[in-house]
Amino acid sequence: MADYNKPIPSPDPYVTQPFWDGAKEGKLMLPRCTSCNRVHWYPRILCPHCHSSSIEWFEASGEGFIHTYAVQNRAFGGWADETPYATAYIDLVEGDRMFTALRGVDAENPESIKIGARVKIEFDQADEDTYVPYWRVVD
Amino acid sequence: MPSNPSMSAAIVAAAESDKIGYIEEGTTALNLHIEAIRNVCAEAGISPTEIEGVFATNHANMLAEYLGIHPKYIDTTSVGGCSFQMHVHHALAAINAGVIDIAVVSHGEAGFSARKNQGNGTLRGGGGDPWTPAAQFGGGPYGAWGPPSYYAHALTRHMHQWGSTKEDFANIAVVTREWAGLNPRAVMHSKETNKFGGPITVQDVLDSRMIVWPLNLLDICLVTDHGGAVLLASAEKARSFKTPPVWIAGAGENQSHADMLEMDDFTATSAHASSEAAYRMAGMGPGDMEMAMIYDSFTVTAGITAEMLGLTPRGEGPSLWADGNASPGGKFPVNTNGGGLSFSHSGMYGMMLLIEAYRQLSGTAEDGVHGIEGKQTSAQSAVVNGTGGLLSVTGTLVLTSDV
Repeated sequence: MADYNKPIPSPDPYVTQPFWDGAKEGKLMLPRCTSCNRVHWYPRILCPHCHSSSIEWFEASGEGFIHTYAVQNRAFGGWADETPYATAYIDLVEGDRMFTALRGVDAENPESIKIGARVKIEFDQADEDTYVPYWRVVD
Repeated sequence: MPSNPSMSAAIVAAAESDKIGYIEEGTTALNLHIEAIRNVCAEAGISPTEIEGVFATNHANMLAEYLGIHPKYIDTTSVGGCSFQMHVHHALAAINAGVIDIAVVSHGEAGFSARKNQGNGTLRGGGGDPWTPAAQFGGGPYGAWGPPSYYAHALTRHMHQWGSTKEDFANIAVVTREWAGLNPRAVMHSKETNKFGGPITVQDVLDSRMIVWPLNLLDICLVTDHGGAVLLASAEKARSFKTPPVWIAGAGENQSHADMLEMDDFTATSAHASSEAAYRMAGMGPGDMEMAMIYDSFTVTAGITAEMLGLTPRGEGPSLWADGNASPGGKFPVNTNGGGLSFSHSGMYGMMLLIEAYRQLSGTAEDGVHGIEGKQTSAQSAVVNGTGGLLSVTGTLVLTSDV
């Protein structure tokens, strides 16, 4: 934790707190609308699909697939030490998409990374309260 | 039924700030705005005080005050590089509604000078808001530092989904550089204008520094200082200026998302919808267009947009530039100023699209300053598409020559 030198998101207590609470316990918590039963990401105070305000949080599988990716050859701050590293949009098994820095890939060989590859979530402790989600290729 | 605003207004003049590109002695966004507005009024032969509507991405009111204008219509729509296409759309509606007769759309942005001024190069203020939900889970925590970090994901997906190649997209940069060779004000016009200027090959693009795979340096636009402005006037007044009108036959805008987290299809933009609206207003289609000005913040932006505008089949956007078709002397000229890739791109490039489309359709693209022999095309119609944000929001115009 002490050596986490990347930007640390500042959670807002009004909308996203359940995610960050779950992250602390190693769980991926996702918001789901109880009216239309669809998952959405990022978290909101109303469902972007049906505009209901009935949102519940549930523990998701923490599994997904690479939708698309890129390799960051240039970066700043704490990320400058990591180049090249891969970033990706992840299709969640439960629906919708998250952004991440990918683990378990060879960023020196971008073409070795496969769209559709299966990934699992993991969390890095960034400070006392914040655990940042990352996704790792598992096959 | 409200009346169709098609042809109820025209762009009657277009001009730039005194200097554009890498302005070594430095400048400010405000200076670039004011120079451009002064110049466009001089070209049209009017006083700035005759302007009734002021359209700019931020602080249109500040520009109006500076120039002693008391505007009847103020619009500060600011959604990225396509904002200027949208300003024209909004001004067209205001003119068609009879609220104003003469409007200016202005742009000033010191993308280059901002580095030494330690500002952000625009008229925007700072912000101290807590992170929005989208920001907490967007690129920030993962080191994404700007548009290249994000746009690269779209190119990866396009290659996967449609079987396109880096070479296909690199060729867009090559053809665009050919046009820069005919524009003496283009940053990359020649070795005289910039040590990296002059013609390039597909191999040069592939060999240039990798910034965010799969985007090489030459897939990415310049970051310059640039100001520009266009004047709009109602149909009744459009022929009362020193400069000729270019008619606004159609206009449309749309948005698919703001943060790339919400981009449903990474190989499509809202230009499909904004161009459909513009074509419908004009009573024309892609087959009626004789040239195109397509926002090229990246080669992938231009390639995908060509598909969205109906100029190529889906998945084959880069083919618009193939076989010399879009090159000087080709049958469908594209980005005849040299594009954001090789002419100038301050951050929000949409104004430069407008100015060049005006020059081409008014027959002034080869005036020796903004173009030399070979740059003027015979096109009488153009589709002009701006793309803003992270492939997020688009504005499309269909413009036609005065006949």
